[in-house]
Amino acid sequence: MDKLANAGWSEMLLMALIGFLLVFAVLVLLIFVMKGMGWFFTRDRKPKAAAVTSSEPALDHAISDQEIAAAIITALKLYKSNLHDQESEMLTINRITRAYSPWNSKIHGLTQVPEKK
Amino acid sequence: MVALLESNFIFESLVKFAETSGFGAFFAEGGWKYLVMIALACFLLYLAIKKQFEPLLLLPIAFGMLLTNLPGADMFHPTLFDEGQIDWYDLYKTGGLLDFLYLGVKLGIYPCLIFVGVGAMTDFGPLIANPKSFLLGAAAQLGIFATFLGAYALGFEPNECGSIGIIGGADGPTSIFLTARLAPELLGPIAIAAYSYMALVPVIQPPIMRALTTDKERRIKMSQLRQVSKTEKILFPIIIAIVISLLLPSAAPLVGCLMLGNLIKECGVVDRLSKTVQNELMNIVVIFLGISVGATATAASFLNVKTLGILVLGILAFSCGSAGGVLLAKFMNLFAKEGNKINPLIGSAGVSAVPMAARVSQTVGQEYDKSNFLLMHAMGPNVAGVVGSAVAAGILLAFLG
Repeated sequence: MDKLANAGWSEMLLMALIGFLLVFAVLVLLIFVMKGMGWFFTRDRKPKAAAVTSSEPALDHAISDQEIAAAIITALKLYKSNLHDQESEMLTINRITRAYSPWNSKIHGLTQVPEKK
Repeated sequence: MVALLESNFIFESLVKFAETSGFGAFFAEGGWKYLVMIALACFLLYLAIKKQFEPLLLLPIAFGMLLTNLPGADMFHPTLFDEGQIDWYDLYKTGGLLDFLYLGVKLGIYPCLIFVGVGAMTDFGPLIANPKSFLLGAAAQLGIFATFLGAYALGFEPNECGSIGIIGGADGPTSIFLTARLAPELLGPIAIAAYSYMALVPVIQPPIMRALTTDKERRIKMSQLRQVSKTEKILFPIIIAIVISLLLPSAAPLVGCLMLGNLIKECGVVDRLSKTVQNELMNIVVIFLGISVGATATAASFLNVKTLGILVLGILAFSCGSAGGVLLAKFMNLFAKEGNKINPLIGSAGVSAVPMAARVSQTVGQEYDKSNFLLMHAMGPNVAGVVGSAVAAGILLAFLG
């Protein structure tokens, strides 16, 4: 600190320049470290992606393109919203058989009014 | 009774009482300074409460400022920390609450604890997915070194220049950490400038971003970021802490704490700790930090030409930092292939101010193309800026400390 008390413009300029370059140097080093880590963790994914690309290039491109995917989804939604339900126009009575239980027994569910005899 | 009245005893007692009260101090020599500081504290409280300018920090800072400038209350004793030394004996004998709370700033404890919380709240995924963002984070540190020279031109001492320059990092805890070591007497004005300008990022940055980019550049759509695995997110804080601490030991406290917080979040096995550092610990430290930093803004240390210079240099620092990021993004585009180009608007997010600077990039980008989503791309340089400003602080500390 004492040495810096008499620092002139040349020392200050040099300090600022070296400081800025050092920040760059440290962060550039981190880029390489991160790139290396990224390569290590994505190296297994790339061959699979390449295989898909070679067999179905058009499909892969279409799926990766978000705008086209959005257009397909919108078209499907519009198509489905325009469809009407088509009824079979046949009425049927389906008999449902249930196993007897006091819990679903109609007679047990009704209030039994006591009879006067 | 009559004798008492005749001797003016009551009148004299009342006058004496008035003179010893805080109100009396306003009419003593230099008493107007207290009034100005109280008015300023009230104005900052208004900004924090009504305008919501960084209220979490500005409110305790403003209240600390109010307490320390109430004449007669003697809440804070700057003499206990004169010339960068702590007078432990007098502190033990006469120290009050604010003096003891200030120890956390003086010893660099609060900024580091805040960094643990910041780390636990930060997702470094966009940065891991696109490591080139580190370059934008580095370029935005231009503001620090440009202001360092600007401060020297205005006549500040080299150590003060370092503390003022770090405002350009747009990172409150880093500014406080460095200033407490290099120029503690400037802590009040520097903290207030740093947090006020951080709140003004949405006002300061857009004109600079628009001035430095063309309409075509603002519409650039960036390719989607790759997915980052959990293992990468866990390894990232460990690797960064090791690499940076070995390269720059002076940056180890800040970067180490930031990465500790991030590891606590990402590892997924200490959820209780993660919640605690993100909420309770962070909130408690913010209160202590805010009050004690505000307390340093006494009339004697604040009302001088230096404060005015710091406020002017602070805005220069933010502007240069934002411009540096945008300009480097444009420069990188000269070498980038079509489809891999960077939208220069994300460059300004390289000043840390997380996540506000990234939000500004997103907002300005959407003004020109509603379908352009820049937020996640801007988060990369934004968190790189946090690392970059901590590195810059470490470098300045190594040079000037």
